[in-house]
Amino acid sequence: MENFFIESSTYIPKIDFNSETDILSIEGESYHEYTVEFFQPVFEWLNKYLTEPGKKITLNFKMTYFNTSSSRRFLEILNLLEEYQDEQDGEVTVNWYYEEGDIDMLESGEEYEEDVNIDFNLIPYTD
Amino acid sequence: MENHDAFSLKTFRDELEQHAISLAFNGSFSQDTVGLIDINLKNRENAKLLTKRIFGLVVEMAQNIHHYSAKKIYSEKYCRNIGVGVLAISETKDHYVITSGNYIHQQDSEEIKSRFKELNNLGEEELKDLYKMRRKMPQRPNKPGANLGFIDMRRKSGNPVNYQIKGEDSSNPFFILSAKINKQ
Repeated sequence: MENFFIESSTYIPKIDFNSETDILSIEGESYHEYTVEFFQPVFEWLNKYLTEPGKKITLNFKMTYFNTSSSRRFLEILNLLEEYQDEQDGEVTVNWYYEEGDIDMLESGEEYEEDVNIDFNLIPYTD
Repeated sequence: MENHDAFSLKTFRDELEQHAISLAFNGSFSQDTVGLIDINLKNRENAKLLTKRIFGLVVEMAQNIHHYSAKKIYSEKYCRNIGVGVLAISETKDHYVITSGNYIHQQDSEEIKSRFKELNNLGEEELKDLYKMRRKMPQRPNKPGANLGFIDMRRKSGNPVNYQIKGEDSSNPFFILSAKINKQ
């Protein structure tokens, strides 16, 4: 299947989902006012991608800022992957990158880690 | 003299200065407006974490106005009605203060007050639990917001959020929110 790619802009993150490497990355800032609409193609792609069982998927989040509306969508993405892992023999790892010192972004990662049963790595980076 | 001379730019400027208001916007809160505030904040010399917290409050207040203001203006560019309101960032010795104001529908007044009253009485852990619980609930039908904005404002601020509703007896009262962030 085709890869999924959206280039980042002021309030939109870069979304790079690769069906060959099984590396899915979301990066940048996300504060779209209508995230249900914005993320709809993302979910359409994911639902198709996750029909094939047994994949070993890595999801990279490298966010600098996201609004509460995006926060909901991220949880929905994680829930989809959790379901895939449980029901379709998948293996999912989340790498949650946060800039060194950004305790709020670290905390956001921890809060997702508590909410889903997926392997989580919380990884600091320096600019 | 014409009546428009009653407005004094000098007085307006002096008031902005007096209250250390570094940014103020009155109008419709489109995505572009919030993007411009984002750029403005990034050009300042504040610590990154502080800037992000200020911006986080701006976004949630702006998007609250965008979706829920009782006064909206049609945008040709976005092909939809966009909420109108006012927002300001000011500074005291120890805090940054982010304030927003917009007209609301009278029937929403009680709910807004009771929600902030509840949030202001919760501690950090309770706020976190409430945020996570609410985030797991399904998206409310016909409402684009995440229903998390008020909790997020309270968490990002780290202080009780001041709220005021002016003209509660009128059909469109004016709702003012004010959240402060400690500089240290």
